[in-house]
Amino acid sequence: MSADQHAAQAFHGRSVVSAADFTKAEVLALLEAARQFDRFDPGGPAWGGLAPTLSGRVLGTLFFEPSTRTRLSFESAMLRLGGSVLGFADARISSLSKGESLVDTIQVVEGYCDAIVLRHPSEGAARLAAETARIPVINGGDGSNQHPTQTFLDLYTIREAAGRLDGLKVGFMGDLRYGRTVHSLTEALLHFDVELKFIGPENLRLPRDLRDHLRRHGRSGLEVENLQDAGDLDVLYMTRIQKERFPDPMDYERIRNAYRVDRAALAPFGPDLKVLHPLPRVNEVAPDVDSLPGALYFRQTRNGVTVRMALLHLLLGGALPLEGGA
Amino acid sequence: MSRPGDYRLVNGTVIDHLPVGSAARAMDLLGLPREGPVTVGINVPSPSQGRKDIVRVEGLFLEKHELDRLALLGPSITVSIVRGGKVASKTVLDVPQRLVDMIPCRNPTCITNAEPVVTVFVREGERPYRFRCAYCERIARVAKT
Repeated sequence: MSADQHAAQAFHGRSVVSAADFTKAEVLALLEAARQFDRFDPGGPAWGGLAPTLSGRVLGTLFFEPSTRTRLSFESAMLRLGGSVLGFADARISSLSKGESLVDTIQVVEGYCDAIVLRHPSEGAARLAAETARIPVINGGDGSNQHPTQTFLDLYTIREAAGRLDGLKVGFMGDLRYGRTVHSLTEALLHFDVELKFIGPENLRLPRDLRDHLRRHGRSGLEVENLQDAGDLDVLYMTRIQKERFPDPMDYERIRNAYRVDRAALAPFGPDLKVLHPLPRVNEVAPDVDSLPGALYFRQTRNGVTVRMALLHLLLGGALPLEGGA
Repeated sequence: MSRPGDYRLVNGTVIDHLPVGSAARAMDLLGLPREGPVTVGINVPSPSQGRKDIVRVEGLFLEKHELDRLALLGPSITVSIVRGGKVASKTVLDVPQRLVDMIPCRNPTCITNAEPVVTVFVREGERPYRFRCAYCERIARVAKT
């Protein structure tokens, strides 16, 4: 068995709570598995030829908070692998509304399915669910804490577009303080030789914990308030600045307009700049950016299905390479 | 005739090198006084740390979970076991790697504050130690460790 296959096998039966729980080799094995599934993308060379590797398997999707991309992409991934999906997308229609605990809900639902995707407003909910369940639990977002599959698809998108992860200059812009995608991807990028840059207002700087964490790894990165001070960039990861973070609406209006990019603002970085955004966006990425070759945010959403297919395949014991070879 | 404070420990525990001001907290953590006499020294001169607090308890021998709680009060607390009026053992308390069911998580949206879950914190870095909630992954600021 190759090292890649060994790392891939480490996913079998495992819960996915935090991207930081996975080694570099495991992350790379997942990205490689996703690459194999990419051939089966609609319109791709092998579209229609994908074996239903998860036929007869059931995914439970427990969404105690609203979600569009995460829930639908997990459902799409499971359905495309021949499996089935059950669950709810609104806590009001679950037994939680009757006062049932999360632990009880998990113990009930695990009897109905082979794996669970959980989104919950409380930080740590996925960790608790994973400790409780005898089947894999995938964190689909726990409050402002972790969203590991978003991190995996972000890494996949960057590697697919740039051809590598090592040697890149990656800038994060917008809400660096509360954006869980920023925190999670930043941590995951510590596995690689990446130069980190952070562009945001003073009151939305990276949280102290994360700054300390980066400093301990000797990877503090550049922190600036303006994009034009960031120097060269290969990747710009945008985030939405949320209105509720600002007590004064005037401050919000000022800040959100200052952290908006359009074609003109991105021109100095050249045509190879990759622009990512976890979506949904409000006004921070102007529509005129969409047609740039480096605008990858809709590609990210499609990759979300590919990466989640690979993840479900591996968690539920699927073999690699896929039938027909990579 | 003995004076107050002259009580001589025969069988019990001396908790020494407590940071000044933490004797009351130590007593609170241990639920003192229990049955035996307790003598407390506050702001006592100490060659090693300038000033310190000290608590001596007759008839008390601490459990592991009690020592773990005490260890959070300061960096160099010692616990001596006294038997027959003599020190039988002396230990410098070490801060545990994991705090299980010892402190609540201060993050109001942590799942441990919504569900009946035993809290777990994992020690990180060097002194002063920081403890990360095993659930919400936030740092709990445990002072004086």
